[in-house]
Amino acid sequence: MLDAFFQGAHQVFAFDTLIYMLIGSVAGIVAAAIPGFTVTMAIILTLPLTFAMEPLQGISVMLSVYVGGYTGGLISAALLGIPGTPSSVATTFDAFPMARNGEPGRALSLGVWASFFGTIISTLVLIVAAPPLAVVAVRLGPWEYFSLIVFALTIVASLVGNSLIRGLIAGVIGLGLATIGPDPMMGRPRLTFDMDLLAPGLPFLVVLIGIFAISQLLDEVEIHGKKVNHALIPKSIDFKTWEVMREVLMRPVNLIRSSLVGVVIGALPGAGGSIANLLAYDQAKRSSKTPEKFGQGIADGVVASEAGNSATAGGGLIPLISLGIPGSAVDAILMASLMVHGISVGPRLILDHADLVYGMFIALTVASFMMLVVCVASMRLFLRVTDIPKQFIVPTVMICCVIGAFALNNRMGDLYLLGAIGLVGYILKCLDYPLAPLVLGVILGPIAETNLRRALMSDGDWTVFFTRPISALFLAAAVLSVILSIRSIWKAHKKGNGNKDALV
Amino acid sequence: MTADTPKPAAADAVASAATRARNELARLVSYIVFGVAAVYCAWRASSLPTSRWEPLGAGSFPKLVFSVLAALCLFAAIKSVIDIHRNGGMPEAVYAFGRWLKIRRISFAIYGLLVVYLGVLSTLGFSLATFGFLLIAQLLIAGVTRRTVIQSVIAALVFSFGLNMLFADVFNVFLPRGVLIAF
Repeated sequence: MLDAFFQGAHQVFAFDTLIYMLIGSVAGIVAAAIPGFTVTMAIILTLPLTFAMEPLQGISVMLSVYVGGYTGGLISAALLGIPGTPSSVATTFDAFPMARNGEPGRALSLGVWASFFGTIISTLVLIVAAPPLAVVAVRLGPWEYFSLIVFALTIVASLVGNSLIRGLIAGVIGLGLATIGPDPMMGRPRLTFDMDLLAPGLPFLVVLIGIFAISQLLDEVEIHGKKVNHALIPKSIDFKTWEVMREVLMRPVNLIRSSLVGVVIGALPGAGGSIANLLAYDQAKRSSKTPEKFGQGIADGVVASEAGNSATAGGGLIPLISLGIPGSAVDAILMASLMVHGISVGPRLILDHADLVYGMFIALTVASFMMLVVCVASMRLFLRVTDIPKQFIVPTVMICCVIGAFALNNRMGDLYLLGAIGLVGYILKCLDYPLAPLVLGVILGPIAETNLRRALMSDGDWTVFFTRPISALFLAAAVLSVILSIRSIWKAHKKGNGNKDALV
Repeated sequence: MTADTPKPAAADAVASAATRARNELARLVSYIVFGVAAVYCAWRASSLPTSRWEPLGAGSFPKLVFSVLAALCLFAAIKSVIDIHRNGGMPEAVYAFGRWLKIRRISFAIYGLLVVYLGVLSTLGFSLATFGFLLIAQLLIAGVTRRTVIQSVIAALVFSFGLNMLFADVFNVFLPRGVLIAF
């Protein structure tokens, strides 16, 4: 174990890896500071650059983009009141009023320190939780795995977006798209409609880029007309770095609670930083002695929301490392980057590639320190990023997406698929379908099918899914997540403040 | 005249019900399209030969998935029809679609440009095709003025020829060179 740890540390602390991570950290912060540019998109754009790197080096760079991205969203949230990423929505509630009240530097510093401590706490939980969970996961059979995937998909569908049924439809469409091409057991071609383009199946990174990035960029063009009051960014900002660090540490209960909320939410498939950000804020408000001050620029609100969203970074890696199930789109890309290097991600990852897993733990810690140093040293420069007009960002990022999709297999056919999937993603987005369940469906589809067929290989008896206790538990949890989701929608309807079309 | 003018709150309610009906109509179309496609795919999957080695063959999982999708779409479509009736009935489909397209005209223009770009990429090569795409897309978004043209030409040059050089020389990732012009 110690050998593996030192091997991982040796690779992460190599000079070139640290330089790449530093660039990744800056890129993540800059990307997320641009309103409308999500952490997912930043990671997608990083992916092709890591193809030529060693697996751990590549994943370390992506983790630094990830950690930097969660913090970068804070900049436009605090100064412009626009969440740079969906995971910094709750940050605007207090950071923006604080900035408007003449303390923009304090708001930014609070967010940066809270993000830093949130990431560190989540990494500690990851180190403690992932290895034992992986040992248990290795003993799970195909019955339990299939039921776990059913649970993961129902929980994603019920947590993401405004409508449970559209979430379920999106998830099942993803599973359906994954069946195109050779079947995962025997390699028999299916649903290819005699088209060479579909014969190898849909590469899920192309689906991911098309669904998330292209649709988001096309959507951005429509809202580009809304002018932002750039005068909100003051010329001189006092960051009060060390004073604010003490201020954050003086709130240990809020910091630890919000980070743990982030870890738990991050570990749940589909429930990423955006939910953790809101939930941690809500918990801080509920347990505060002065809840009426929330929303007016209170430090507790900024600390809770930023610690919450940053802690999902470590939390999301728990199911990825121990079960091979990505908790979010970002984790799915991290998984893809390992698969590109021929590393199979699953419960055996920690047993077969211990150096890689320990390296990931170290990289996450190093990335959070880098984010802190970069933010403290050059926050003033990043503020200028919010001024870049969308006319430059949207087409350029689109080109980067094309490069990412092409560089994966050097196949023009992938680009045609990208164009088609991008249009589907944009239309689904316009129609308010959540996109995360679709992408997770594409990723989990082959795993679900393989386990289902293995589970029924001996006698084809479906009741076995209900007679094996852990499998039955996951299926019961899946049903429960759907029932709870319907119940909460029903309650919102009764109160009269729910989304009118939440069910459908 | 004033007696015939609806009160603002009532007018808003009518407008929002109409908007909801329009959105719901668009979703209904999507449920029908996905539902029909799911039924077709389930039928195609069921025609795949069964396996000798296992109870479930290559077609079983897709058949299961597309059947579930068809059932979900049917449920969603029924609920959608009920909602449309609740919100004042079927809006004029052509008008609703035209309005939907009009709001998103720049997005679709950019998408059309992307399709053309992907189509000519293998012929013109990355640098040249990208230069054209970036230049037109930037001007589409920002509008054509002397300033935006100069800015767009510079940005297009940097992110087409510059990006190609960066990927080829630094990352060893070689982008399409083109058939007609090998840039």
